[in-house]
Amino acid sequence: MRKPEFIYVIYIETTPEKLWEALTSSEFSKRYWWNTEVKSDWKVGSPFALVMNGAPTDVGEVLEVDRPRRLSYTFHHVTSEAARRERPSKVVFNLEPYGKLVKLTLTHEDFEAGSKLLDGISKGWPAILSSLKSLLESGTALEIPVSALGIEGVS
Amino acid sequence: MSKPEFVYTTYIATTPEQLWHALTDGDFHEHYWFGHRVTSDWKVGSSYQFAKAGAPSVEGKVLESDPPKRLSYTWDACSPEAKKERTSRVSFDIEPRGTVVKLTVTHDNLDERGKTLRDISGGWPMVIASLKSLLETGHALPADLPSTAAKETACAQA
Repeated sequence: MRKPEFIYVIYIETTPEKLWEALTSSEFSKRYWWNTEVKSDWKVGSPFALVMNGAPTDVGEVLEVDRPRRLSYTFHHVTSEAARRERPSKVVFNLEPYGKLVKLTLTHEDFEAGSKLLDGISKGWPAILSSLKSLLESGTALEIPVSALGIEGVS
Repeated sequence: MSKPEFVYTTYIATTPEQLWHALTDGDFHEHYWFGHRVTSDWKVGSSYQFAKAGAPSVEGKVLESDPPKRLSYTWDACSPEAKKERTSRVSFDIEPRGTVVKLTVTHDNLDERGKTLRDISGGWPMVIASLKSLLETGHALPADLPSTAAKETACAQA
């Protein structure tokens, strides 16, 4: 059986520094991530949180910070009891210069067997990263209705 | 759905009609597909071919053509190595989502550990990223595909 994980590759016409800023700045993240603020001081071992419209949706701990190449944190979804019972998973961003572009590889892994969160993040990340690419390249993020993602229990 | 398969989803600020045009129009295709032009009349059962600077690179038959919702074709890459593999299949699903369009590319019926699987897994994210950039900003990505080194073609020119 395949390891429960989600991998997504996207090429963006930007610089690794700008992409790093986009992934770690709450002002920036609000614009492409449904008003979600990415909060941390980005030191290894520091707390990390996603805060959507003032309420935390995900919390974790910063694992790796190698600016502007690699960022990783643990990821514990806390919006429902069922999600809270799952052990934290792990998010890794790899940023590689590719000519005039940056190749961004997102790996979301370390899920427990039968994870309910895996389906949701598999639908969420392509929308978030597509919007991030639009914002960096055109200056305008995408308006994707969260309800259109088809995530169970999210409307 | 037959394994292994490759599925890639993105969201683009465009309309279903413009996206359909991007997938089927030779000039537009050549622009974001790193020089590979597509030619077909897009009728079910018709043939289609990709060619870069006149040299055929991919060919197949149109399986489904339901503008602007779903397009599907068989896929035979023209390199001598890929020609030994079975014919795979590419499907594009276009769905409006509010002010944007969700595009899902599914490439299935692939050989396990084959050259085609390897190539398309690296290639589609580049091609779709370039397509999205062209539709949203008016210019495609300034890059080349990781796998366009193949100079030999095992397909006849259309």
